[in-house]
Amino acid sequence: MSPGVYDELKTMVGQEQPEQVAVDAVCKHMIRHWCEAMEDANPLYTDEEYAKKSKYGSIIAPPTMVQAWSMPPLWPAREMPAVYKRIFETCAKAGFDQIIDTDGEMEFFCPLFLGDRVHVVTKVGEVTPEKKTSLGNGHFITLESTYTNQRGELVCVQRVIILMYKAREKG
Amino acid sequence: MRYKILYWEDIKEGEKLPTLTKEITTTTVIATAIASRDFYPVHHDFRFAQKAGARDIFINILTSGGFVGRYLTEWSGPEGELKWMKFHLGVPCYAGDILTMTGKVVKKYVAGDQYLVDIEYNFIVPGGSHCNGMATMILSARGS
Repeated sequence: MSPGVYDELKTMVGQEQPEQVAVDAVCKHMIRHWCEAMEDANPLYTDEEYAKKSKYGSIIAPPTMVQAWSMPPLWPAREMPAVYKRIFETCAKAGFDQIIDTDGEMEFFCPLFLGDRVHVVTKVGEVTPEKKTSLGNGHFITLESTYTNQRGELVCVQRVIILMYKAREKG
Repeated sequence: MRYKILYWEDIKEGEKLPTLTKEITTTTVIATAIASRDFYPVHHDFRFAQKAGARDIFINILTSGGFVGRYLTEWSGPEGELKWMKFHLGVPCYAGDILTMTGKVVKKYVAGDQYLVDIEYNFIVPGGSHCNGMATMILSARGS
């Protein structure tokens, strides 16, 4: 058991990481790369003529792509937001040094158009005591992210549950 | 090019969505990870993934969500709008797996001026359920 880790995780509930702003504005190239990798043929994402005649009037980004815009760049590396750093360090020092996503939820409010810039604020939600899983024992942590565009309009509210776990010894 | 429109009136509760299968190659895992700007090594580095207790590299959560979005709008046609989705990730979808996407309409209803359907979906890999959950979509209606 790891009561120390759980107690420390509980103190983080409700903590917010400062707003992160996407490095890249929403653009047709990154949308096309996403559609290419997922094999998504929806013309709203890539067919300008079709999108122009749609209710949106122009190309929109795939809604499920919202988080991709605000992912941290590989280089130059950004310092990890303090809230994440505390979660990872607290878990890692007790041996829960592996991370995996277990649940996702997204509610969509308005689409992202070409040229939009994603802003995101993430907050620590629920945390659980140590639990047994097929990957190894670990703690589940809910992260709630609110995505807005450059005009402050709500785009998406997302909840992701991550598992910080100790990888099981392989027999 | 013409695209189909699935009208809300033509949907029945209990109706199954067509099953979609996709071979998830090593290239798919890496291409989707990079397209979603996720450089965590379990999605591209075999040795790192094995050390993390996984048997191979596997797709990231953005990709699982991306496939849910693709599956639903391929069914509804581009006019269908994803309003909400929630899913649980079960076993990882590894490089080499065939991902079988299945779904069913569990409810159709009207709220305000929106014609809605709730869809239950289950995306299966040989190891079991990779991703299962619910989504709400807004569909076009003939009467609107």
